[in-house]
Amino acid sequence: MDGESNYEIHQNAYIKLILHALKHKTSSVNGVLLGRNSVNGDNVEIVESVPLFHSQIGLLPPLEISLIMIEEYYADKGLSIVGYFHANERFDDFEVGNVAKNIADHIYKYFPQAALLLMDNKKLEALLKEGKDRSPVMQLYTKELSRSWKLAGADASGPLKIKEPSANIVLLDFISSGKWKDIIDFDDHLDDISKDWLNPELFK
Amino acid sequence: MVTRREEEEVNRLENQVENGGGGVWEYLCLVHKLKLRRSDMVLKHGLSILNDKKKRSALGPEEWTLYEQVAVAAMDCQSNDAAKDCIKVLQRKFPGSKRVGRLEAMLLEARGLWSEAENAYSSLLEENPFDQVVHKRRVAMAKAQGNTSAAIDWLNKYLDLFMADHEAWRELAEIYVSLQMYKQAVFCYEELILSQPTVPLHHLAYADVLYTLGGLENLQTAKKYYASTIDSGGKSTRALFGICLCTSAIGQLTKGRNKEDKDSLELQSLSAMALEKDYKQRAPSKVSVLSSTLRSLKI
Repeated sequence: MDGESNYEIHQNAYIKLILHALKHKTSSVNGVLLGRNSVNGDNVEIVESVPLFHSQIGLLPPLEISLIMIEEYYADKGLSIVGYFHANERFDDFEVGNVAKNIADHIYKYFPQAALLLMDNKKLEALLKEGKDRSPVMQLYTKELSRSWKLAGADASGPLKIKEPSANIVLLDFISSGKWKDIIDFDDHLDDISKDWLNPELFK
Repeated sequence: MVTRREEEEVNRLENQVENGGGGVWEYLCLVHKLKLRRSDMVLKHGLSILNDKKKRSALGPEEWTLYEQVAVAAMDCQSNDAAKDCIKVLQRKFPGSKRVGRLEAMLLEARGLWSEAENAYSSLLEENPFDQVVHKRRVAMAKAQGNTSAAIDWLNKYLDLFMADHEAWRELAEIYVSLQMYKQAVFCYEELILSQPTVPLHHLAYADVLYTLGGLENLQTAKKYYASTIDSGGKSTRALFGICLCTSAIGQLTKGRNKEDKDSLELQSLSAMALEKDYKQRAPSKVSVLSSTLRSLKI
């Protein structure tokens, strides 16, 4: 691989991750990204996402179970794990912590173009005020060209794009209608398995 | 702990209040009693009572607790002006009160004036070294600044004084886990299990940390504690999965040597069966995913 990969995230995958972070404002949350390589191999398409945890993110057992289950579920649909999403506990914390790095490293082992997405609270705040920005309210980190996770351009011309240009408008609509309350993550599922981490009702 | 019934009751009341159906005071009392964090709601509806002279005076002495509740909620919502107004009313009513002093210090904290807040808390503690709320605010303040090592120091100091505060031990354990200091977290959970041996939640958390640490001995202990979680609290999806993970990991480490005894194999297949039964009943759409998950763990 010589050049940087481009990443395209689908609207629903994107919205789910942000709503999950908003539901648990007072703790770190994470999620996993599902997708595939484009035919020529330069682009990564992030088609789906699953919200994982909002408590005790640093523990292995729930993580291992969730990753196996998610992988098994999406394998039939031709999607595999292509990245990791993380939102820090504190609003103004823009550091990729060790737990996030370790989980992303694990994904990187199987998928070298893995994306590490970090929630950008400042950008979300600006979006909530002005509502104009069309670029994702997340920062993209990759490990493709270096030994550690590096920020890969956070602005609109960066390598991370949302597939649908109106995604942020839909997102704002979801936020103002309180849809974030309905988001179910893997923590919720392990506490009550009748709760479905696929969130099938969310986009109905 | 908030029971499911209590949570449903709160949600019902919240819905009613939001739709103008009355019951605001009941709602606020319940949120207060259950120590829930619904600050935006408390602020909005609490103010609607406080700004109405008739409703406000109908509360009698409860009026002042409501001012306190709304002040704290307002600070949580970064509505520092609203908080200031509430605190002013309380200052006039109770001049020189320590409880109001605590709110004043919290307002400094909410405004991000860390060193001023720190001084205010310190002087409150000089007057009353056993004020638990102030001790805890100091921990929270260190956390808010991202100063985790200071948060750990304050928590340890606090636990020297209040060794029986289980919530604080748990908080300390969770901070250690977030820093991946698993050995220190293990110590906290051991402390919790010693003081509350019958609480399944501690057994589960202890097992989770041991599994994360890894190594044959830790995995074997983790498995025992997953089993005791189920034993003391009925079924728990997390503990059942935990047993499956431990068995699988132990199998990989020993590579079939060190033959496990019969009981342990039985425990593993029982756990898998319990999971399958539970999923069939309550999550039928996930049964096939569960089966392939268990298969990939070679169960």
